Amino acid sequence: MQRWLSPLKVFRPLMTSLLTSLVALSLLGVAGTATAAATEAMAATPLTPTPEGFVDRPVVVLDWTLAETLTGLGVRAIGVGQVETYRSWVDQPELPTGTRDLGLRTQPNLEQLARLAPDDILISPMLASLTPRLSSIAPVTSIPLYTPDTDTWQTLVEATRQLGKMTHRESQAEQLIRASETYMAGVNAALHQQDAQNQQAQMPLLMVQFMDDRHVRVFGNNSLFQAVTERLGIANAWQGDTNAWGFATVSLEKLVTLKGRMVVVEPLPPGGREGLARNGLWQALPGVRENSGASAPLFLPPVWSFGALPSANRFAHMLAERLLTRPDTEITQGQTDGDH
Amino acid sequence: MAITDHATNGSPSDHTALTHASARRLTPGVACSLLGLALLILGSHALTRDGLSLLQGLTALWSAPQFDQTANLSQANSALLSAQLVAHVSWWPRMICALLAGGALGMAGVLMQQVLRNPLAAPTTLGVASGASLAMMLATLFAPALMTGTGVAENGMTDGGFQLGREWVALIGGMVAMGLVFALAWARGMTPTIVVLAGLVINLYIGALGMVLLLFNQEALHGTLVWGAGSLAQNSWDGVITLVTRLVPGMLLALLLMRPLAVLDLDEANARSLGVSLRKLRLMSLGLAVFLSACVVSVLGIIGFIGLAAPACVRLMGARRLGQRLLWAPLFGALLLAVTDLVVASLDGLLPNLIPTGAMTAALGAPLLLWLIPRLKMTQGAGPISGGLSLVRRHPQPTRLHALLAIGVLLALLLALISGNTAEGWTLDGAWLHGNVSILDWRLPRVLAAAGAGILLALSGTLLQRLTNNPMASPEILGISGGTAIALMLTLLLVPGASQLTLLGAGVGGAALCLILLVLLNHRSGFIPERVLLCGVAITALYEAVRGIILADGDPRGQQILAWLSGSTYYVGLSAAVTVLALAIISVLMLRPLARWLDILPLGAASASALGIGVLRARLSLLGIVALLTALATLIVGPLSFVGLLAPHLARLLGLSRARDHMLGAVLCGALLMVLADWLGRQLLFPYEIPAGLMASLIGGSYFLWSLRKPS
Repeated sequence: MQRWLSPLKVFRPLMTSLLTSLVALSLLGVAGTATAAATEAMAATPLTPTPEGFVDRPVVVLDWTLAETLTGLGVRAIGVGQVETYRSWVDQPELPTGTRDLGLRTQPNLEQLARLAPDDILISPMLASLTPRLSSIAPVTSIPLYTPDTDTWQTLVEATRQLGKMTHRESQAEQLIRASETYMAGVNAALHQQDAQNQQAQMPLLMVQFMDDRHVRVFGNNSLFQAVTERLGIANAWQGDTNAWGFATVSLEKLVTLKGRMVVVEPLPPGGREGLARNGLWQALPGVRENSGASAPLFLPPVWSFGALPSANRFAHMLAERLLTRPDTEITQGQTDGDH
Repeated sequence: MAITDHATNGSPSDHTALTHASARRLTPGVACSLLGLALLILGSHALTRDGLSLLQGLTALWSAPQFDQTANLSQANSALLSAQLVAHVSWWPRMICALLAGGALGMAGVLMQQVLRNPLAAPTTLGVASGASLAMMLATLFAPALMTGTGVAENGMTDGGFQLGREWVALIGGMVAMGLVFALAWARGMTPTIVVLAGLVINLYIGALGMVLLLFNQEALHGTLVWGAGSLAQNSWDGVITLVTRLVPGMLLALLLMRPLAVLDLDEANARSLGVSLRKLRLMSLGLAVFLSACVVSVLGIIGFIGLAAPACVRLMGARRLGQRLLWAPLFGALLLAVTDLVVASLDGLLPNLIPTGAMTAALGAPLLLWLIPRLKMTQGAGPISGGLSLVRRHPQPTRLHALLAIGVLLALLLALISGNTAEGWTLDGAWLHGNVSILDWRLPRVLAAAGAGILLALSGTLLQRLTNNPMASPEILGISGGTAIALMLTLLLVPGASQLTLLGAGVGGAALCLILLVLLNHRSGFIPERVLLCGVAITALYEAVRGIILADGDPRGQQILAWLSGSTYYVGLSAAVTVLALAIISVLMLRPLARWLDILPLGAASASALGIGVLRARLSLLGIVALLTALATLIVGPLSFVGLLAPHLARLLGLSRARDHMLGAVLCGALLMVLADWLGRQLLFPYEIPAGLMASLIGGSYFLWSLRKPS
């Protein structure tokens, strides 16, 4: 059951760390130019590209929203909570290879954390009850993210600035903020122009994520998605109450009376599109029922719905792609899969 | 090896009987008429809410409005059509599902309580819900294709007949769990005690596995959480069709079983003399009850309380004979669930949260049950089920066994301190001082806290099982854990960024409140153990409901709550750990002199007073001690570590039966179990940690199941 601490066991990690530090050293020479290029590219295209050269910072991050922001700033943290699950739920921006898995976000492995000896532990206020245990390892910084009664976009911008400051990536942080805001404004203008040409206003959107075939999360006030649509100048059809993270879990029948275009953020419920075709309530939703070009449902690939600026950019980009580029006649329920 | 069943001494199986006064006031007929009236009023109100006339609403039952794709509908027309459509595909199926499900659960509850002769038995006692739930989680995670069915949509078929959709996955899971319970109990003649125990352990076991999956995959399993809270929302007639085709034959079959089942009202010997094979009869009726509840669970999700409350209520209202109960309980259950659902649906618009009916039924039902309990007349003395689970012969040298166990505990402590998994693989000396990382900082508190919590829970479990003479009794079931947990969950949700100290205060407050409630509800009756347990069941049901509602809503803080609920030593610091362990050891020493009470109290109140024990005082003080011990342990390891249930049984299985020996043995078993569980849980999935409470359920449960199988 136990493997003893064999010489080989000691040797291998030693070699790996030696190798990685060599690689890191060689990268450091080009890091300046590489990241500059990366940030330039970031300014040019709205999607945060996977930066070529990450810089290492001795911090660990328990929260995914913070982790995606750091990655967007070109920072590689020592470790992130639940790395594998991050890959399936946040996905973009991808965590740099070599990021250590810390264990559960709510219960990171303390022994390992102590061994990693970070300079700083970044958490969101949700995990505040861990602070007493964590602070005996390293100073704990709690960065507010989704807080009720605050402007979500501003909070995310502030969080980006704060992270930039902590990791000495101030200029990259400003870059990311500016790029995001410029892009949103650009899409907003383009949408307005298109509306003027078509002499038809955008339908309000009804942004949902399926929980099962009967229940959805509908995103409204306080949510990342609404923060984006506000910037794009599109109304949200859901004006009901939402929780601190900006969603309400409702059964589908709650949406039947709302006039809006469905935006479904995948994953779909078991049964997928076929299941929806047999779903009487889904078929009764005004947007689905009329199924004309301007009201046909949009299906978007998964986006982390509690994300930060990188996720916001991704979401805006996917919306823009579908709302802007296609003539109305081509928009059907089928065209949904290809991710940008 | 003999199985003694003390329940065979001719006590009537009516554990609960109404006082005459209230029997005259509220008969099942009156109650059902009242509920029916409420259903009509609320139903017609709900149906016409969206601007439909009553006639339009009623016709929506059978006719779906047709949409003309091309027609340009006026706003008003479109709204009307929508309303009709919602009535047709959602409102009516939901109403019919509620009635069917409530009826089936009520009937399943009657069958369960009749066969198991236990007022605490509910359709979920035999692991149906947890089995279904685990199957759905596994399918969602590892074989999502199973949950979808196989391309039936192309040819437009809409019935669920040929696909392995959610319904079948859940049904199969529930039936497998039941099969396990039956396999365990069959060899022992399907006696109620064994069936209940096996069910309880299977429930814990499967529940622990499910929690592990949930803890590591919360995002992916959100759908399962919504289902688990039992939402009746429907979006087509599929659910109704599935339920009708399965439930109606099942319920008819139950009526056929009525005559033979009535025999179970007699005691075992008399029933046998009538030439009835008890084993087969029990298997058949339990199987039927499980099938009925599994159907409901698979289509609608977990709906608590109805199956427990409907039979109990109609019995209270005077339906004593089995035939009466089989008639009234389903009717009462159906109406109760439908009315609750209407109330919940009308609340739905007022609150931003999803309010699942299943969990809500339990949340509303728990206070109802608490209100009813003081009005119950409980038969004293011989309990419904055998207290002494004398599966094994008494160990000849308890002292030697104790010494062995103590050595085991010490070895486990040592092992847990010096060995562990790290990112670089296993280490044995664990680098006692590895740079600035002292392993003792991280391991010692957890090891000590695990041992302390194990002792506390085992101690209170032993006290409770001896006191109540009920093998289902455990500190978790007494409701103290549940109360503590409710307080903590609400604090986590309502106080943003609550500190550990706030949580501690809230936890103690919750435990105290629960204890006060238990005392208030029971002091006039003299703390009859049965009744105290029933109160505990109600509080536990409330806890499960609150948890279900919180998790179903999908608030990201649910993750934190889950992590805490699953019982981990994660949050314990060294000073807290030392305090707990010290308190635990002091309690053991102080309780040694009480062993005499524990030997005598199970003999019944009369014998106990004859032997010079103030029964009331003894019960009150023992219950108080149990509550304190449990609250303390719950604060450390959460409410779900079933050590309090398992450790006393383990000690018995080892052959320790006299109170003094039993207590010490259980304490040692509890400590051993928790230390090992805590250690293993931290190593198996490194860097992920499986909480000690869950690991303890898995290890203890495995041993327990193995012992039940062991031939004599």
